[in-house]
Amino acid sequence: MSWHEVVGLVLLVLGCAFYGAGTVGLLRFPDVFSRLHALTKADNQGLLLICAGLAVLARDARVAFLLAVIWLVGLLAASVSAHLIARHARHAGSSHASKPERP
Amino acid sequence: MSSTIVYLLAASAVFGIGAYGLIVADHLMRKLLALNVMGSAVFVFILTVAGVTPEGPDPVAQALVLTGIVIAVAATAFALALMVRMHEETGLTSLTGDDDDD
Amino acid sequence: MSVGVLVDVMLALALVGLSLRVVTGRALFRDMVLFILFGLVISLSWSRLGAPDLALAEAAIGAGLTGALMLMAYRRLVEGGAEDSPGRRRSFLALPVGVLSGALVAVIGFAALGVERVPGAAGTLVLEELPGTGLGNAVTGVLLVFRGLDTMLEMTVLLVALLGAWAVLGEARPGRLHQVDRDTPLVAALLTSVSPLTLLIAVHLLLAGTDSPGGAFQAGAVLTGCGVLLVLTGTLRPAVAAGLVTKLLVIAGLTAFVLIGAGALAFGRPTMALPGTWAVYLIETAMMLSIAVTMTLLFARSRGLYPERR
Repeated sequence: MSWHEVVGLVLLVLGCAFYGAGTVGLLRFPDVFSRLHALTKADNQGLLLICAGLAVLARDARVAFLLAVIWLVGLLAASVSAHLIARHARHAGSSHASKPERP
Repeated sequence: MSSTIVYLLAASAVFGIGAYGLIVADHLMRKLLALNVMGSAVFVFILTVAGVTPEGPDPVAQALVLTGIVIAVAATAFALALMVRMHEETGLTSLTGDDDDD
Repeated sequence: MSVGVLVDVMLALALVGLSLRVVTGRALFRDMVLFILFGLVISLSWSRLGAPDLALAEAAIGAGLTGALMLMAYRRLVEGGAEDSPGRRRSFLALPVGVLSGALVAVIGFAALGVERVPGAAGTLVLEELPGTGLGNAVTGVLLVFRGLDTMLEMTVLLVALLGAWAVLGEARPGRLHQVDRDTPLVAALLTSVSPLTLLIAVHLLLAGTDSPGGAFQAGAVLTGCGVLLVLTGTLRPAVAAGLVTKLLVIAGLTAFVLIGAGALAFGRPTMALPGTWAVYLIETAMMLSIAVTMTLLFARSRGLYPERR
């Protein structure tokens, strides 16, 4: 296993860990805002790590560029949708948006 | 070969679930969801039983499924238009009113 | 059991679990979102099965477009005062029908898997004849060259769906659609950056589709995404009647097929025999535009669209 494979795999595993943390936050946090907080922070970082890991594994400038574009577009979509969801939740009143109870 | 069997079993199960849902669903939207689920199962089924060529799954089956995906979304769009109009006219979102008699 | 099969088993379990939730859940809105997730898992299954064309189409059309159409229709129902009815019909037939139809599909599938492969099957013939068409993507080859008639009729189905939706439109009031807050700078930034990007991606998918995964359907779906964005932000507003450009765009795909396919007859060639690769590009471009305009109109539930003047 050459060095770039090791680096790529480590990045992929780290990225998965960030996604896992984001998902746990989405499932366990009480209201819309903290859920968005967990999701946007952790998942964008996870996406960056996974894209970086794939780019290192591919060892190809074109693929790396495309992965960077994917990351940027993902970032844009995530930030706009998170912003709109948070705005909507604030206008609608956060009590309406909070989770009722945990089983 | 074994992953073909995995997807074949999944397609069968999903088709059965969709058929069950189509019958028990009350809301028309849920019936549409069930119908779309059944459609996806059929697509997976077609591709798995069509067999493989050296360059991936049978291209004829792939084209057939691609056509099917587009037709399914066209049919769904028309069904949604019908549903919205029906709700505007009658205020109902299900067909339960019709068979209360029997 | 190899890692690949393990991934397949996980995807299959996800498909079964999600479909169960989608059809038997209690909250309609949540189950519609789960249906989009179901489409994405199907898309992953396509790429596991080695069909990237289908993975692209499923993610864009099966999950994205169908989901957007359903969520929009749901909002129209809610705005019209509809209530979620979590009720279910009681049917003694439902469970046996579900179990037996699933079992029937499995039996047919295993019977089909056991059948000996014929050497001259359609799929292998396509791959043998593909170099003669000048196309590198076998799926595009089947869609446009070998089974062009099917694809032409598919465009007809799309057109009929739109005409049907127009017929049941009634006296719907257009213009009550856009409700996304546009006063935030982020949405404006999204519009200015994503609209040109979707155009670029759509054209790329169209051109790449002759040799690698992609094609008119995927490109049309991506372009529809742009249309949906423009409609949601109110940049394109629903019009009362279809303009000439709209009508021409809606029938463009079918027209290109008919003209080129029937034009072959005039030169003494078989019907639907395409005269060259340029015809493939022409038909695909027309199809992409038709698909995008048709689906955007279906989403906006209107006969036409006009750009907002500021």
